Amino acid sequence: MTVHIFDTMGTTVSIRITETPDNTDRVRTTAALDGIEKVFDLYDRDYSLYRGESPLSRLARHEVTLAELSDDIRDTYARAIDWRQITHGAFTPHRPDGVIDLSGIVKADAIAAAHSVLRAHGFTEYSINAGGDMTVAGEPETWVTGIAKPDGSGNPAAVVRLGGEWSAIATSGFSERGQHIWRASDPTGDIIQATVVAADIVTSDVWATAIVSGGSDTLELATRTAGVAVLVFHADGEVRANPAMMELLRQPAATH
Amino acid sequence: MRTPSAFITGAATASLIAIGWNIGQAGLAAENVDTTTTASSDQTATTTTDSSTTDTTTTDTSTTETTTTDTSTNTDTTTTTAGSDGTFVGDTVQTRFGPMQVQVVITGGAITDVQTLQFPSNDRKSVEINEQAIPVLLAEVLEIQSADITNISRATYTSQSYKQSLQSALDAAGYTG
Repeated sequence: MTVHIFDTMGTTVSIRITETPDNTDRVRTTAALDGIEKVFDLYDRDYSLYRGESPLSRLARHEVTLAELSDDIRDTYARAIDWRQITHGAFTPHRPDGVIDLSGIVKADAIAAAHSVLRAHGFTEYSINAGGDMTVAGEPETWVTGIAKPDGSGNPAAVVRLGGEWSAIATSGFSERGQHIWRASDPTGDIIQATVVAADIVTSDVWATAIVSGGSDTLELATRTAGVAVLVFHADGEVRANPAMMELLRQPAATH
Repeated sequence: MRTPSAFITGAATASLIAIGWNIGQAGLAAENVDTTTTASSDQTATTTTDSSTTDTTTTDTSTTETTTTDTSTNTDTTTTTAGSDGTFVGDTVQTRFGPMQVQVVITGGAITDVQTLQFPSNDRKSVEINEQAIPVLLAEVLEIQSADITNISRATYTSQSYKQSLQSALDAAGYTG
């Protein structure tokens, strides 16, 4: 297994490439990994709100208008608006303070682009993990993936096996929330963490964010319309899974 | 809070067994302390060839924490320098879900409490029983299974803003760990 780790977009990306007969060319591996780092950096330069000179930061400061930004950026914004429609408003690129924040979709775009880079270089079995959101390639049930407990510990609460069509997973939530905070706002019944498994990372990431934001209604919408697998943690400790996720959780322990 | 409970189903399928979960407040506070003393520079690009994936998984989960602590320049966790005691309020940090703000209480040069003043609230009060989501009891992930896990899917969004606000509170305190 080749493991490559680098920091970008305010998070850490780790790429794992399994040693298979197709996957052993070191020169090709280096070229692909370099390409992926560039891809993440390009997205970060355009969209980061932590980089003062990025077009999105300038937009937030009202130094430029959306119409003055590049076609790519406007296209990303348009897709974010599409997702707002699809999720009935639960996902939105607009922060409560009015700032346009496309980070919710851009990290997923970058993961998808990295996926394309590896595929274009002929790799067949790999995972790309950016801060806990990931895409994999490989046969079904190849990648044993933990779903973190919503306590910020990073310890897994459940395990799913990804691969085949179930190639993307994303988790959204308030992982640092302590009990004293819940009592303050008493959101019993609210969803504090959502994990979505889907066929592509943008779908996973957007729905995970939307479900934390929109609650049970959005979870039902995702199940009914999006064909995704969802696992949610409620503030009172209850855990729920939709039927597709139940199937994933029931997979027998592999000897992979 | 649901109390942890366990039952065992068929052993062969290691299907869904076990626990509820508890958020440990002590664990939360401990992690906060870790975070504030973690430098932002300890993770550089590395390429390794290694079949041992367990270690690298651990590496990811810890290094993602470092990225919003850019303002921290202190890496020395063994020397306790007396900062100011008192209660220090962090910056309000905007997140996708609303504002996040924390304050820290420092007593005798040590962090004794971290309180959240503002947390992104989910004003949706939907508690209806949802037929599309079935309550499940998750398996306590056994050690033997954990060794096979190559990746963990986890939330990072709000934790970044939490740490950003926390760091600003610590900066205000002159806290150097």
